[in-house]
Amino acid sequence: MRNPEPEPDSHSNLSSSYDFVPEAGPSCVTLDKAGHSNGINKENGYSTPVSNGTVSNGSSTMGNGLAKHSSSITRVSLPGTTLYDDPYLDREEFVRLVIQSLRDVGYIESAATLEAESGYSLEAPEVSEFRQHILRGAWADAEPLLIELGVTDADALLDARFLIGKQKYLELLEARKTTAALQVLRNDLAPYSTALEQDELHALSSLMMCSDPQDLRRRASWDGASGNSRRQLLDDLQHYIPSSTMIPQRRFSTLLTQSREYQRQRCFYHNSPVNPSSSSLFSDHTCDKESFPRITTTILEVHSDEVWNVAWSHDGTHLASASKDKTAIIWRIGLEAEPSSRDCIAEFILRDHPYPLGCLAWSLDDSILSTSADHLILLWNTKTGALMKTLENHAETVSALVWLPDGSGFMSGSLDRKIILWGEPRESWNDIAIRVTDAAVTPDMRRLVAVGMGYNPPPTLGTLARANVRDASPPTVSNGNGNAVGPRPQENRMIIYDLKTGQVELSVHMEGELTSVKISEDSRYALINHAPDEIHLWDLEEFRLARKFTGQRQGHHVIRSCFGGIDGNFVISGSEDRNVYVWHRDTGTLLEVLEGHGLGSVNSVAWNPRNKRMFASCSDDNTIRVWEAPVYAGELLRGFSISASEPEMIGKGKGKVKQPWAYNYGGL
Amino acid sequence: MGMKYRRYLAGERIYGCSKCKTHLATIHSMISRAFNGQHGRAYLFDGVVNVIEGEPNDRQMTTGNHTVRDIYCVKCATVLGWKYDRAYEQSQQYKEGKYILERNLLVDVQ
Repeated sequence: MRNPEPEPDSHSNLSSSYDFVPEAGPSCVTLDKAGHSNGINKENGYSTPVSNGTVSNGSSTMGNGLAKHSSSITRVSLPGTTLYDDPYLDREEFVRLVIQSLRDVGYIESAATLEAESGYSLEAPEVSEFRQHILRGAWADAEPLLIELGVTDADALLDARFLIGKQKYLELLEARKTTAALQVLRNDLAPYSTALEQDELHALSSLMMCSDPQDLRRRASWDGASGNSRRQLLDDLQHYIPSSTMIPQRRFSTLLTQSREYQRQRCFYHNSPVNPSSSSLFSDHTCDKESFPRITTTILEVHSDEVWNVAWSHDGTHLASASKDKTAIIWRIGLEAEPSSRDCIAEFILRDHPYPLGCLAWSLDDSILSTSADHLILLWNTKTGALMKTLENHAETVSALVWLPDGSGFMSGSLDRKIILWGEPRESWNDIAIRVTDAAVTPDMRRLVAVGMGYNPPPTLGTLARANVRDASPPTVSNGNGNAVGPRPQENRMIIYDLKTGQVELSVHMEGELTSVKISEDSRYALINHAPDEIHLWDLEEFRLARKFTGQRQGHHVIRSCFGGIDGNFVISGSEDRNVYVWHRDTGTLLEVLEGHGLGSVNSVAWNPRNKRMFASCSDDNTIRVWEAPVYAGELLRGFSISASEPEMIGKGKGKVKQPWAYNYGGL
Repeated sequence: MGMKYRRYLAGERIYGCSKCKTHLATIHSMISRAFNGQHGRAYLFDGVVNVIEGEPNDRQMTTGNHTVRDIYCVKCATVLGWKYDRAYEQSQQYKEGKYILERNLLVDVQ
């Protein structure tokens, strides 16, 4: 038990330690108007000696009144310096953070009580003085306090003064006091600026030319004396002041946010939005594995040959599939939550393709579906199923189709070494360094990432050796196995372009064949399938390989992957071993290997953009599977015996949709 | 089987399908120009790409009996020539595993 122990001597210290903090927000209002702690105590039903002696002095610096208030609090003396047993949890630090939080929200009385009872004060009086000076724009008063606040390093002091001088200069300019501003520039800024700051100084002086304050604020990316800029200055100055002296603003909240972020990152099956109603400080966040889409709820079987690609409409209600059978199908996937009551029908079968299909892309408003069949691009009306147009601008197989996020049109990439931006006007990048096997555009429209086979210029004679090929088991399709006809090993490349200028930002040689590119929603990462058996996550800001995902099989086929789930938290990929692979994006942990498809490859996968608990996969087994969380199906499963066996295949050519939730439980 | 892109060749001279320009072989893998096909002159190649091989059957040729398969263009399915599986005459066995492409069905491509 802790023994409260009166310490009368501490009172004078405490009284001086308390001061008015402008950013406390509600506090000043509450205290000025609400008749102080008496009222507060009644409201709380809380009655202690605390309420005695609280006197309103009506001034904006309330230190005096509250100091009297605290005189009746008994300071509690505790052994040790830690909060509990953990040596890293310093009690003083913790209490000061609590005091800061209490004052931030306006519990001024409680904060004062805590200061008195603990003997710890939020901060020294000069800290709050300094803060007030900055927020009031009293630069001359603020500057001398820097040293008292522990900014003793000469360089740090110069930097801090430069920051203050800059704010002062901008405010003078804003107030159209050009002469005074010029003086600041000459006397306060120029003499102390480092070489690096010279550039900034140059930029600052050019702001003299601004036509009006609005122009100034825009060009300086600064929101003015009455905006947030002084508070921002405080944040910037914080870097030079020891945090134990001046605690960073809202520090407790920062720590809790970090904690939440940590919990989210550790939540491997994270697939529900972190919103205020679902998160609590009282328990760690974790998502139920059962809410992850890992059972097949629907099998779409109409295609008569291998299904090579799938794509969801932006509204998440339709799925398009592309098949070797020379058709694309637009499926309507009902919105009913329960799979058994949902209608899934093949709305349109798009037949007029002379070749097998490779790519699919929905326009931003879902009114047009573009498909590619060999070198052709076809545009379809998704409301009527009618062919609108056939584009023949590519000479070789079209391998990438993407509608541009800004609504200006779409992009196509091809093995003919061309990338075409189909907008107004049309823009064609010809003879690029690779035969494109896939390409994607970042949502922020800054970059285009293309992968493909390097184009080898003709080699000189004499460097080539004839190889002997004597294939004992004759393959049905001859690819020459490389050595007979390919004088060199195929070179593969990823190229990052600046979308606006077409300039190459980065070109990276890669060993294996590259078959798929997807970009994360934040435009930061590119996900690239890389044979053999790897998926690479490239950081487009730092131009480096951030992570590899392994487990899936990819040899010589076009296998595609995508991001999925809330915040693109998952990576899923098809595989040549007929399974679907799912990883946790931020750790690379393999979460699920989903069985169900028949013989051959799972060629492509697509996450529903609206329903984050649903994705689709397509396979050489001629089917498309829709995967969902077992939470709904779980209810239904209870009435059925669960079998781990393969789902029975549906009769060929019947054009049926099967919902095998009852017997195909993915996790078993 | 899964999806595959057609292969593209590099070299001094690339032969493609005359109908759809699909890459088939380079001059570096050519063994002989002295062959005859159904449409006149034909070339013997060590290896070709982007073709589908048909069923084997025995054919009596000027140089004896052979087991051969027709080869088709993977894109447009034109019959381009054949592949030798087996030569019954010992002197002809160098052709086994090699491919014939008919010159009139080829075109130079890049």
